[in-house]
Amino acid sequence: MSGHNCVAIATDTRLSTQLMTIDTSFQRVFKVTDSCLMGVSGLGTDVQTLQLTLRSFYFSNSLMKFKLNLYRLKEGRDMKADVFSKLVATSLYEHRFGPYFVSPVIAGLDKVGENEYSPVICTYDSIGYREHNGQFEVAGTGAELLYGVCETFYKPNLEPEQLFEVISNSLLSALDRDSLSGWGAKVYLLTPTELTVRSLKTRQD
Amino acid sequence: MDNENFGLAKSFSSAPVLSISPHTNFSQKEQTDIEHELNEQVGTTGEYVSEGFCFKLAPGQDQIGFMRSLKEKAPKLTDFAKGTTTLAFEFQEGVLVAVDARATMGAFISSNNVRKVIEINDFLLGTMAGGAADCMFWEKYVAMQCRVYELRNGEKPSVAMASMMLASIMRQYRGQGLSMGTMFTGSDKTGASLYYIDNDATRVKGRLFAVGSGGTFAYGVLDTNYRYDMSLDEAVNLGIRAITSATFKDSASGGVVRIYHVTNHGKWNLIHDAIDVSELHYQFEQNKGHTGRGNEGKPNKYL
Repeated sequence: MSGHNCVAIATDTRLSTQLMTIDTSFQRVFKVTDSCLMGVSGLGTDVQTLQLTLRSFYFSNSLMKFKLNLYRLKEGRDMKADVFSKLVATSLYEHRFGPYFVSPVIAGLDKVGENEYSPVICTYDSIGYREHNGQFEVAGTGAELLYGVCETFYKPNLEPEQLFEVISNSLLSALDRDSLSGWGAKVYLLTPTELTVRSLKTRQD
Repeated sequence: MDNENFGLAKSFSSAPVLSISPHTNFSQKEQTDIEHELNEQVGTTGEYVSEGFCFKLAPGQDQIGFMRSLKEKAPKLTDFAKGTTTLAFEFQEGVLVAVDARATMGAFISSNNVRKVIEINDFLLGTMAGGAADCMFWEKYVAMQCRVYELRNGEKPSVAMASMMLASIMRQYRGQGLSMGTMFTGSDKTGASLYYIDNDATRVKGRLFAVGSGGTFAYGVLDTNYRYDMSLDEAVNLGIRAITSATFKDSASGGVVRIYHVTNHGKWNLIHDAIDVSELHYQFEQNKGHTGRGNEGKPNKYL
């Protein structure tokens, strides 16, 4: 979700095989650069292959981390969120005939002027169709449930704390109706100066 | 007769019996089971006529095939109240029944407040797993049959007999797509007893059952802590514990726990109507010194 000079990603923390809960503190959101976050929902192994954790030493085949580092070495600067969002699309399409079973969400802030930032919010299907309307995007098993609440609660140009309230309430009400999500939630709030991560208490069934 | 409602819900009782089952002929002599089976037939007008019921069938040649294909074509219409944890066990003070309260359609939670224990009459209880409508309808039907038996014979049927009525119906409709997994329990002259009945016409008498997608998880808790000589309090706590664990692991179970106790003296009691399983989970975890969020022993990393 985007606000005025801020963006946020909210996610649950469950990992499961079909109906059985395996892990209740699974990490799905990763920091790409200081101004960009990526959340990945879908098959656990593909989430970790795509992921960009700083400990990429352990995941040497971490797909996006490699491309980001190469860009940084060539250009001598961090990739802009908007550019990264298009890189993800082409990277996913590279696997057109054997896709990763994921649907990523990207939230970033690109500097466009003095104290003026443009939010980058987009989501993809598993083969890299990029969808963005600049307001909010949803992905995962509870996506249909999230649309209704997000459309009701969302207003453009919210301040960071208001955005946190809106995104948390939207996620929590969808979690109550999706049997495959829940077991804890995290909200990542990104502003030009800082990244705040908050843990939400949720139902455990 | 002081009890006019045949042990059925109010909405049923105001209708005359003949309108519930139009083909019931009380003057006819008692039929044996074999005669019943012979009388069962598919009518020329596309009706399934048996046991006094008249179920309309879909037009076409292969009706059973149609019902099966319907499941693939419109899963949301044909599947309801799937995914469940229900358990029941015998102990020295009777039978304890514990159930969750979630109904799902696919991944969607259609309710967290379902009543999965069907109060058949004042001495019989049935649990609901599988098709909600199938369980509800046939267990209410057994309630009516029990009342008719009582009026004819001047005594209540035994739990064994009542459960056999349900199992016979399942036998009659086998392969027709009924979906039901029920624990049928009640209390008669011999005390409380417990049966498991499902849509394959399985009918087993047993000490301890857990039915539904969360059943396997419930068995884990149940088997480790079950003793026959438990007190009622211990049994209630075990029931709550088993349902709570199952709802935590199984995403298709959840909501609240409901607990019923069937006494050895011909009746049942509602012990707990609704305890929130999520609150119970936090409570149990905090008693162990955990947070309840499942992050113990993990580094507190966010990115």
